[in-house]
Amino acid sequence: MLQMQARSAVIYEELDVFPEVLVIGCGTEGAAAALAVSENQPVTVIDHDTNHDGLSLIKGQTNITVNAGVKVVGLDGFPGQFLVSFMENGEYTKKSFGAIIVALEAQSSYDAKKYNRIELGERILSLSQFIKKDNDYSRQKVTFVLGQADRDSISSYATALSQAIALKEKDADVSILYYDMKVSADHLEQDYELARARGVNFLKYEGDLQILKTDVAATVQYSEPFLEETEQVKLVSDYLVLPEDYVAHPGTADLADVLDVNTGPNGFFQEDNVHFLPIMSNREGIYFIGSCHGPIYGVELEKEIETVKAEVGRFASGKTRVASLQPQVDAEKCAVCLTCYRCCPHHAIEIVHDESLNNMYHSAARMNPLACRHCGICSAECPGKAIQLPNYKDGQILQQLSRPPKIVAFACENSGTLAAELANKIEPELNALIQVVPVPCSGKIDALYLLKALERGADGVLLIACQKENCKYSRGNVRADQRKELVRKRLEAIGLEGDRVDIVHVAANQGNQFNESIRSMVARVNQLGSYPGKVIR
Amino acid sequence: MIVVENKSAEDILKMVAPYKKILVAGCYGCVTVCLAGGEKEVGLLASQIRMAREKEGNPIEVLEQTVERQCDKEYLVNFQDKARDVEAIVSLACGIGIQYLAQVYEPIPVFPGVNTQFLGANLDVGVWEEYCMACGECVLDKTGGICPIARCSKSLLNGPCGGSQEGKCEVDKSVDCAWHLIYDRLKALGQLDKMAEYIPAKNWHRNEGPRKLVKEDLTLEQ
Repeated sequence: MLQMQARSAVIYEELDVFPEVLVIGCGTEGAAAALAVSENQPVTVIDHDTNHDGLSLIKGQTNITVNAGVKVVGLDGFPGQFLVSFMENGEYTKKSFGAIIVALEAQSSYDAKKYNRIELGERILSLSQFIKKDNDYSRQKVTFVLGQADRDSISSYATALSQAIALKEKDADVSILYYDMKVSADHLEQDYELARARGVNFLKYEGDLQILKTDVAATVQYSEPFLEETEQVKLVSDYLVLPEDYVAHPGTADLADVLDVNTGPNGFFQEDNVHFLPIMSNREGIYFIGSCHGPIYGVELEKEIETVKAEVGRFASGKTRVASLQPQVDAEKCAVCLTCYRCCPHHAIEIVHDESLNNMYHSAARMNPLACRHCGICSAECPGKAIQLPNYKDGQILQQLSRPPKIVAFACENSGTLAAELANKIEPELNALIQVVPVPCSGKIDALYLLKALERGADGVLLIACQKENCKYSRGNVRADQRKELVRKRLEAIGLEGDRVDIVHVAANQGNQFNESIRSMVARVNQLGSYPGKVIR
Repeated sequence: MIVVENKSAEDILKMVAPYKKILVAGCYGCVTVCLAGGEKEVGLLASQIRMAREKEGNPIEVLEQTVERQCDKEYLVNFQDKARDVEAIVSLACGIGIQYLAQVYEPIPVFPGVNTQFLGANLDVGVWEEYCMACGECVLDKTGGICPIARCSKSLLNGPCGGSQEGKCEVDKSVDCAWHLIYDRLKALGQLDKMAEYIPAKNWHRNEGPRKLVKEDLTLEQ
């Protein structure tokens, strides 16, 4: 029984915004982004006091200002109207921007431990040394060793393949020694086929490698999996090329702190969350491109730049139109306690002071329409019930619970309601026992809704949340977990069964999983019997 | 801010056991800010009480209302319509609000829904720490802005004691030694000489009975 609430008409606001975009990072990735964005609107590129590799690409371009030796040290405001503080020659400066693109490039780091402690030298080069070095490799034997470093990405595979193809054209004898050949990205399979066709030797190894070097040659000794004899093979080359690992830019943690954006695996920008691919941060108006959020290669970068150009393009005219869907605050009830401000995963809330605000502080929380992602977490956290999310006001949610069936399932619209629809197609008779109440995020499920559902006649209540670490709003499903615990304790405190309330983490395509959890909750409440706390008058 | 903690549902249910119609009274002041007595908490407690009593087969009607501040009688007046209609009130305000509500609405019995804990700062969502004990005689000028009365387990005016170890208090190892913090702060301020300054014993004028503050030049003519 999935009912959608009737939506009220959307009101639009037109807001003044700053068209200019700040690009942090002046490597080749930042420069490429700046060039693309500058076709629509002005761009300032700063090097954040580090890499200037992209400088020559953008110097003198119209619409691009380059500011080297500058660091971002503070950020205020909201998308369209960010106020960025810089440290420049020991002095603070401030400037407004509409959006921010982070492009602090990853750095390659050669880890000798991954190549049985061999040091780099004349004959043994790291992949990035090899790219920069302009040697004549004609009739030289060059071997790339893949699969030891940079295991989590395909970036070294892509680079080695393109370099191998280029070397063949210069008449070199090229081998690629691999454990597994990773080609799962656009054009990589073609590059692989092309390399084979051009005569690059692909040799598979197993287990550990031994690398030896003499003054005139470098040798890799490895086990060949396809030969019957398990003898070690010795591959002698003039040059060995060893890929490095990619590590996050050393300024990442500090900048993440200043911008209040999340970092993820291995300390790169962006949390490990499927909803955040490819360029989104946890804040509107702040984007990640390129290797700042992990190793990346050419084609992917082009797509990211295309996306970010469109995202920031909405500020290009100096005005932007936005649907007023953000939560509204009843100032009379707002205690300016900062709970919403602190809980908002998107940094979308400010405390404003205005004589017209009708409370003793003349202040209240306000949600910025451009920064807000409408998850409703703030409204569920508010201890004063001062915050209401349009289309999901408490009244609208509770209205759906006038005569609940056996089970009420408050379901996240990013996963739960979609799984419920699928579940309904698989086993419609089971779905007759439940009422699905859609919410924009499981973090919007107020503890009060759970108690009210039971009070009004349900025998069991479910919170249907996204899979762990996969919340579109970063931590709504974690809060939902905490609320389940809180409500269980409240029920147990009055001698009622806490396990009438449970949480299920599902993905949108887990219809059977959804039905399984309904079935198990139905079995549980059938065993417990009718809920004795129902208040029916 | 005054920091309070919710009483157990069991305790509250015992208090309201004899009644059939009650009011749960919230406050939009400190107790809302410390997530224990605002409109949300009023709703949760009211729902709990109703359900508990239904289960016992002894239904109760629970009204809900929250006002600006329960420590001002002008706001307390707003409860009058509902208060007139109930047999008892559970207040989720701090000890001050509970008493003032009881005084204003005598003879309706008023019960505490919270345990008032301390005067503290809100360090993060769900985290509070005691910073002041309202001793009436502030020494923060001598102690680098860190209160030894509230934050030293022994309220020592001339610390640290011999039990301070690696910055932690011997009474509870999870607690920072206030005098260690004071030393570090004074050092950072270049005021370490204040450590040697003797702070004389306080006049604990609590002995004189409950404290009252009257500012003659501000009181209205009667």
